[in-house]
Amino acid sequence: MHTMKKTILALCAATVGLTSTIAQPADLQDFPAASVDNVIVPVPSEVFIVLDKLGSPNWRGQLRDSVGKNTGNRAQVALLLGTVIADGFIAVQAQDAERVKEIGRDVLNLASAINVRDAVITRSKSIVDKAEKRNWSEVRREFDGALQDVKGAMRELDDEDLAQLVSLGGWIRGTQVLTSLIGQEFRQDKAELLHQPILVSFFSRRLDSMPKKLQKDPLVVQIRKTLPKISPLLGTEDGTKISQDDVKKINQLSSELVMAISQQNR
Amino acid sequence: MKPLLKFLLAAVALAPLALSDVCATVNDALSFAYEGATPYVKQGFTFREDAWGGDLGLGDKKAVRTQLFKGNSYWFIVGTDIKNAVVTVHVYDPKGQLVDADFWHRGRFCGAFVEPKQTGAYWAIVTVEKSPSERTRWALVYGLR
Repeated sequence: MHTMKKTILALCAATVGLTSTIAQPADLQDFPAASVDNVIVPVPSEVFIVLDKLGSPNWRGQLRDSVGKNTGNRAQVALLLGTVIADGFIAVQAQDAERVKEIGRDVLNLASAINVRDAVITRSKSIVDKAEKRNWSEVRREFDGALQDVKGAMRELDDEDLAQLVSLGGWIRGTQVLTSLIGQEFRQDKAELLHQPILVSFFSRRLDSMPKKLQKDPLVVQIRKTLPKISPLLGTEDGTKISQDDVKKINQLSSELVMAISQQNR
Repeated sequence: MKPLLKFLLAAVALAPLALSDVCATVNDALSFAYEGATPYVKQGFTFREDAWGGDLGLGDKKAVRTQLFKGNSYWFIVGTDIKNAVVTVHVYDPKGQLVDADFWHRGRFCGAFVEPKQTGAYWAIVTVEKSPSERTRWALVYGLR
């Protein structure tokens, strides 16, 4: 039996080896774009980690004194929650335990405002506990988990659109911080990290498919108008160089969105 | 275009599913995916809490589009709960070139390692190469450092 198992495993390995060697270059550009529905949206820390490898960014300088106001509007709260979770990743990069704990509590408060408190209670506690122990990789993981739990809870409540707004809020805040840091010490290899046109295109499609009522939300209107301005600046073609001026423009556009989401310019 | 390539393109279903969207039994496949990821966690890779999965017929493929960043290293791990099934994952760059720097398959899980040469959109393609079942459940997780 044991030998048979070994044989099966060896056969499996051989099959896979064969697959590996005959894998052909696939002209994936030929996929009809219309059928590309979903994209894995990275969490902000995925790009922040690279930035850390390329220098010593001033993460502390990117932390906000206030994460913004909760207006009670569910779309605004979902977007705000996304930006606050992104702030959590920034605080982790800054290794600022106190700020991480505050953000953990902010996440819980905002989650309560849109009826998904139960989904993040445990995470919020873990964030605080692990920040106390300065276990940064675990705190990062808890913020990722909080994001997934919130989105999962929203989906359970049939609020897929709000779940997408949480992701979008995180991407906008992450982009603001990324462009701010790249702008402070411009280098082409750092600017390449902004080459994310599929994400803009993905979010735009999601917003376009949202119910009319949500599309009329002033924040959603503003974001839908801004994303097409950001998209060409991210380099639509592979290998396109993103200039310092483009980085500045993206930062300005994303900062305006963060201000609007946080209700800090009203 | 080569017939094999046409077949590949035609066979690939393009809508990946967030794991929460599919049936609970995929959780078993996810357990295997996380088991496959364990050695890399010890090596400092951080695996996302998010996961993707579903079920596929023999020979079927599923493409998951993902944004990767130059400077990170990634492990994509796929697990299945079907005994004796062979499910593989390979990663392709925006031009459709295979970019796995390493690939392995052991029992109910497999992994592909990628160090992107450029930042951009990549494709993780999951294939059911062999299976005793009509439908094979799978789950994909990825980690980076």
